[in-house]
Amino acid sequence: MATARPIRSMDPYAEQFWTYTLKKELRLQKCSDCGKFRWPPGPTCDKCLSEEAEWAPVSGRGKVLSWTTFRRKYFDEYPAPHTTIVLELDEGPLFVSYPVDVAVEDLRESMVLSLRWTDGQDKFGEYNLPVFGPPSA
Amino acid sequence: MAVRFDQDRLGRLRDTVAVVGVGETDYGADYRGAGGKAMGKGEARVDHYTLASRALKRALDDAGLTKDDIDGLCTGPTLSSERACELWGMNPGWSGSGDAAQCIIEATMAINAGLCTTVALVYGNAQRSMNTAYGGARVTGGGITSYFYYAPWGLTSQGALYALFFQRHKLLYGTTEEQLGAIAVAFRKHACMNPNAVMQKPLTIEDYMNAPYVAEPLRLFDYCLINDGGVAIIVRRADMAKDLKHKPVMVSAIGWSEENVDATQLRPRLKDFYHTAHHGVAAQVYPMAGLTPKDVDVFATYDSFSVHLLASLEGFGFCKEGEGGPFVQDGRIEIGGELPCNTSGGMLSESYMQSWNHQPELVRQLRGGLGQRQVKGAEVAQYVHDVAGKCKSIIYTRQ
Ligand SMILES: [Zn+2]
Repeated sequence: MATARPIRSMDPYAEQFWTYTLKKELRLQKCSDCGKFRWPPGPTCDKCLSEEAEWAPVSGRGKVLSWTTFRRKYFDEYPAPHTTIVLELDEGPLFVSYPVDVAVEDLRESMVLSLRWTDGQDKFGEYNLPVFGPPSA
Repeated sequence: MAVRFDQDRLGRLRDTVAVVGVGETDYGADYRGAGGKAMGKGEARVDHYTLASRALKRALDDAGLTKDDIDGLCTGPTLSSERACELWGMNPGWSGSGDAAQCIIEATMAINAGLCTTVALVYGNAQRSMNTAYGGARVTGGGITSYFYYAPWGLTSQGALYALFFQRHKLLYGTTEEQLGAIAVAFRKHACMNPNAVMQKPLTIEDYMNAPYVAEPLRLFDYCLINDGGVAIIVRRADMAKDLKHKPVMVSAIGWSEENVDATQLRPRLKDFYHTAHHGVAAQVYPMAGLTPKDVDVFATYDSFSVHLLASLEGFGFCKEGEGGPFVQDGRIEIGGELPCNTSGGMLSESYMQSWNHQPELVRQLRGGLGQRQVKGAEVAQYVHDVAGKCKSIIYTRQ
C-alpha cells in the first residue's frame, strides 16, 4: 500500500501528469509552438495561446526560492512539523514540493536540489510524488 | 509594458463621488456571542445577511438617508445581491459585487456613467459561527487555486503562502522576525484604542516572539482573526453629498492593476512581492489625486497577514524595496508616528472583514474626533489591497 496523501486536484491534464509519475518521469507541458514550459497543467500556452503541447521531460534540477514549516497540522496525512519548499526549475516554472534528506536548518536560498520520488495514493489511485533532495554525488 | 490607463479620463473621476455613511456591527460582541468559540456547520447563530443588514441600517442612519434613497447596491462575496435586495426591499438600478476596494471603484464608475446616484456597499460574514476554514482539507472550492493544488505535498492555507513570501523576504533582504512583529504590535496598540475592536489586550514584542509558529516563519499574531461581522458604506454623487449628517469624504483616486501570469506557481508573490502591480496602481492614484506618498496621513492595507504591510509600503514607495523591515519599527507606523497604518487594529486585531472594516476607519479618521485614536490633522487617507495579485487602491480626502 502506497502512502495516503491529501487528495489531488484532478482534471484530464492533471491526470496525464500523474500517469507519467507511475513511470517516475517528471514531465511538464511544453508549448509546441513557442517552447514555453507550463505548470500546473492546462489547455493553453499563456505566452502564445497555442493549444498544441507535448509532455516533455524536465531535468529535475531546481534552485530553492523559499520554504515554510507547518507547525500546525492541516492534514492528517502530514503531521506537524512538516516542511514544503518552492524551487525554480531549470526549465523556468516554479515547483512546490517538499525536501528530503536535507535538514530545514541547512536549506539555503538558490541551493540546488534534484528530483527524488516517493509513493502516494488517494481516491484517484496510486502515483509517485516528486520530491527534492541534495543531488546525489 | 506600456502604460495602459488613461490619466485624463481617470483624472476626471477625482472627487466625483463621496462617502456619506459608514456602519458596522459590534465586532467584539459578535465575537463573544458564541463564547468566542466557533460552532459547527449549520449551527450558526447568525448568518451573513443578518450581519450585513445590521451594518446597512447603521450606515444609512450615519448618512441620514433611508433605503429608498439607495439606487445602487454592491455586495461582498458572501451575499447574493438578489437575496439581499429581496430582504431589504430594494430594486437598485445597478448592482455589483466584489471586495471592498473593487466595490468602491465600481460604484464610482457606475455613478459616473449615470446608472445610479447613491450606492450601498454591504458586507456580512458569519465565518466564525460557520466554522469557515482557510487551509487544509476543509478548504472549499478546490480545483486549481494556488493553495489547494499543492495538497499532495502538504501545502495549503493562505498563511503558508505568506510564510513562503516572508521567508523569501528574509532571504533576500535580511528582514527579521522582530521587524515583522512590530506590525502586529502596532496594530494591537491601535485596537486597544478602538472600543469596537475584537482584541483589547495589549501585545508586546516579547508576547509576539513567544507565540507559537503556525507556518514558520509566521507566528500566531501574524494571522488575521476569524470573526463574525458586517460592514456597510454609502457612497453618493458628490454634488448630492452636501447637507447630510456628516461632511462628505471624497474618493479622490482609484487605481487597479493585476499580476496574474504564473500566479499558481506563486511567481508574482515570490519573485516580485507583487511590486509590479503596486507600481501600476501607484502610477494611477497619486497623479489622479495630485498627491504623493509623502502627503498620505493615514494608511491602511489589506492585512490578512502582517506581511502585506511590508509589501505595500515598499511597492507604493513609502520606503525602498527590501527596507520594509526597518521602516515598520520604532513607532513609525503607530498613531503619533510618521505613517500611522491600520489605525483601527486592522484585520489582525480589529476584525477580519476582508478589508471592508478598513474603509469606515479611514473615513472616520478624515471626519475627525476619534479621541486618542485620531491621527492629528488627517486630510489624506490611502487604502491598498494586494490580494492574490489583484492590486487596488483608494485615496480618500477631507475637503
Ligand atoms: Zn506557446
